[in-house]
Amino acid sequence: MGLAQTAPPAVPHFVNETESAGLQSRFEGEGEFMVGGGLATFDCDGDGLPEVYVTAGVNKAKFYRNRSSRGGPIKLQEEHSGLELTNAIGAYPLDIDGDGITDLVVLRVGEVEVFRGLGACKFERANDAWNIHTGNAWHTAFSATWERGQNWPTLAIGTYIDRSKSDFPWGSCTPALLIRPAASGKGFAPGQPLTPGYCALSMLFSDWNRSGEAALRVSNDREYYKGGQEQLWRIAPGQAPALYTEAQGWKPMQIWGMGIASHDLDGDGFPEVFLTSMADNKLQKLEGDGSRPSFGDVAYKRGVTAHRPYAGGDVHPSTAWHAQFADVNNDGLIDLLVVKGNVSTMPDFATLDPTNLLLGQADGRFVEAGQEAGIANFKRGRGGMLADLNGDGLLDLVVVNRWDKAQLWRNVGAGSADKPVGMGHWMALRLQQNDGNRDAVGAWVEVDLGTQVIRQELTVGGGHASGQMGWMHFGLGEATAVKARVQWPSGEWSPWQAVPADSFSIWNKGSGLDRWSAP
Amino acid sequence: MKPFRTWLGGLLAVWAMAQSQSAFAQVRAPAPMPPASAYSAAVSTEWFSLALQLAQQNPGFSPPVVSRALAYLSLALYESVVPGMAGYQSLAGQLNELISLPWAQLDEPLHWPTVANASMATMTRMMFSNASAENKARIDLLERNLPIKYSQDFDPAVLSVEITNRSETFGKLMAMAIMTWARTDGGHEAWGPIRRNRENYVPPSGPGKWSATPPTFSPALLPWWGENRPFVLRRAQDCPAPPPPTYSEEPGSAFYKDAQEVYRVSNAATQEQRQFALYWADDAGKTPTPAGHWAFIANDLLKAQKASLAGAAETMARLNLAMSDAFVASWATKYSLNSIRPVTYVQLVIDSNWAPQLMNTPPFPEYPSGHSVQSRAAAGVLSALMGTNTRFTDNTHNDRGWGPRSFPSFAAASDEAALSRLYAGIHFRFGVEGGKAQGQCVADKVMALKFKR
Repeated sequence: MGLAQTAPPAVPHFVNETESAGLQSRFEGEGEFMVGGGLATFDCDGDGLPEVYVTAGVNKAKFYRNRSSRGGPIKLQEEHSGLELTNAIGAYPLDIDGDGITDLVVLRVGEVEVFRGLGACKFERANDAWNIHTGNAWHTAFSATWERGQNWPTLAIGTYIDRSKSDFPWGSCTPALLIRPAASGKGFAPGQPLTPGYCALSMLFSDWNRSGEAALRVSNDREYYKGGQEQLWRIAPGQAPALYTEAQGWKPMQIWGMGIASHDLDGDGFPEVFLTSMADNKLQKLEGDGSRPSFGDVAYKRGVTAHRPYAGGDVHPSTAWHAQFADVNNDGLIDLLVVKGNVSTMPDFATLDPTNLLLGQADGRFVEAGQEAGIANFKRGRGGMLADLNGDGLLDLVVVNRWDKAQLWRNVGAGSADKPVGMGHWMALRLQQNDGNRDAVGAWVEVDLGTQVIRQELTVGGGHASGQMGWMHFGLGEATAVKARVQWPSGEWSPWQAVPADSFSIWNKGSGLDRWSAP
Repeated sequence: MKPFRTWLGGLLAVWAMAQSQSAFAQVRAPAPMPPASAYSAAVSTEWFSLALQLAQQNPGFSPPVVSRALAYLSLALYESVVPGMAGYQSLAGQLNELISLPWAQLDEPLHWPTVANASMATMTRMMFSNASAENKARIDLLERNLPIKYSQDFDPAVLSVEITNRSETFGKLMAMAIMTWARTDGGHEAWGPIRRNRENYVPPSGPGKWSATPPTFSPALLPWWGENRPFVLRRAQDCPAPPPPTYSEEPGSAFYKDAQEVYRVSNAATQEQRQFALYWADDAGKTPTPAGHWAFIANDLLKAQKASLAGAAETMARLNLAMSDAFVASWATKYSLNSIRPVTYVQLVIDSNWAPQLMNTPPFPEYPSGHSVQSRAAAGVLSALMGTNTRFTDNTHNDRGWGPRSFPSFAAASDEAALSRLYAGIHFRFGVEGGKAQGQCVADKVMALKFKR
């Protein structure tokens, strides 16, 4: 289908509310802080609005309680939570111990710190209690999955270059760490290295071929590895991790890998994978029937090469970091956020490198709308997150910038700051189940709009050093009556069920779907 | 910001506005741009001319280091223009540990001379990062002036600001991607302080083993170079030199006979043989070194033949990859056998007062002759590309008063270069012949690379 038949997507308007929201954080640091710069969003007080945790490099990472009024301006209040840290460069929330309270993994230049949620947005360090000891490396990536039959997750932690070899870093990438549950059923067994390591800047456990078993995709930075490439590890229950090989169909590729986003774009049931790099961004589509891990690049075909600044006049190649698929205009077509920024002052890469907001169209292609949407950020972007911070069904945006302030934008849809106007229908869904994997990580949700079926996999990991746990967001377009079903991590499907539009719902595997109302 | 871009500033802003306004435009049908074969080789020949001068003047650029720099320059040139060479493919996937490289965007027409100019400029800066301020200025000047000097290739009527910018950024991106790979080959910044926690090299001792040679008794040069990652050979040992004769001090032994020949020939060298020895010595710091000598020959031929940019890219890539691998292979052999030099042997066994008269012995083991390996590798490639009986004139040393010289073939020139080391009294004949065999093996491996799809 050509463009002539495709109406341009509606562009949402974002209003910069960094100052008025009270977000005051700067990501600072020299050499060891050139990568990372992540944040995490998660609801730790049960009001349905995600809190924000922002890393700040050598500065103190801060926790912000979300005090926004629903549909109104965003208000964040810094609070002491126990998560205050220096050297923090990334964060991923998940319920590790299955107690129903979200915990937090903080990536650091130095030991990874893991925090157990105590409730009421208080946290305590749990490395010793859970036997998570990563050593003093440069930790740059994280993902988690629940292997079949386990009540505790399997954690993957990526590392970058050897900190002791900063005078000649090339070829000194250190291995990632795979931490599996302890045989005792509580806590973790000692970690095992994922060798070879090629300077991982993003990791994502995802069920790439819908086999019921998530594999670990690792995006690696070609700048420093020797003989490295992108990786896909098979993590089969009870077996040693094993890399997928060329003989099995894996196509070796080298990029400046920095971020991973995953979504089933074409409705074939398999997730496409967007990989950020320095100008050389890829959108990979699984080839064949899923029996072999062979991926081809469709970035050009889909209009998401995003290799150069689209505004600002800088003609140099872009440097892309965080990537995230989400529907920002609620038209039922998934969109793509790509946060960008120069590594430091690299003269041959763009200095003015605005964040991309690539809006999905009905013909499957994406078009740039970052400037019109108001998020053309010209700082050194790193991590980011699209999350509904004020509970109005529109996804807001937080971006962390190196050597600069973190920024926050409120999505006001088709309206203005004073008068937000929704753009389409939407629904927010949170999954629950009773075994250790309380948030049903690894589940697939299908939403039937009548005209198309949207599929989302619930994952922990990816992006660039940034994670979220909370509502799964679906734009529904003009559909007001939709039905949905869930394939739970066990593989079991729930029956199709009507889900109300423009609302929050909790889907419990045991007790079914319930509409959720703010307290 | 470079001066070249200063006057473009206003136009850039216009272009940027057009870009943002066309954000919703579907992929436009790309305006056709000529292929790389439609342009002259000028960008290539100019950059290699400068690189050879830099190679001569840069501290630390010994012959192996120069061969490596020329190889990466060539690869940057080839990979940056290969999307504009119909029927050709990237070498990524064929070279060791290089799996993939960025590719030109399908909807963005590129001007291949501009791409090549930016790529070569970027790679030259990175390869000669310790260049003097004066030489860094020469790099900047060449990048800026090439489009003015070669207006037939850089037609302002065709070149829009947008195409120029896109072409420059692609060329730079390619150079930087290749540089990420270059840094891990083991030879990166070999001219600088030891950066890899290496211990000092201790040469093995024993009968027939190399030891530092008079008169300077310099320490071994680049003893780890043979461990560098080759470009094409899977490993340096894939092209072994045939075994040298067993070490012996017995008169009548093969080893003794070859040593006696060096003693006799170098002492009685004719004027012509002396000239050959000096002509091919290609000392670091005084000349562009042996690899630079052959690159000079190829560069001259490409100009004389009015080769295209595409043709130059392939020729220089094959030639320089071969010469760099030849150095790695020969260095691996040299430092695994650690063979004694003629000066040491003759002084021990034949004449304690003898020393080569024409030049000092280079500070590394004898077997095989590096000149022989590298010259044969170069000649093998050029013969395969340009013909086995191609006559050519070598102008490399004209400004030193030693040329021009004409040769009936590349093989004849490489044979003379190889044998010149015997005349100079610094290599045995078996070192020369063994080196030629090793060099031909390298050339064959490089010619087996699949440049065409």
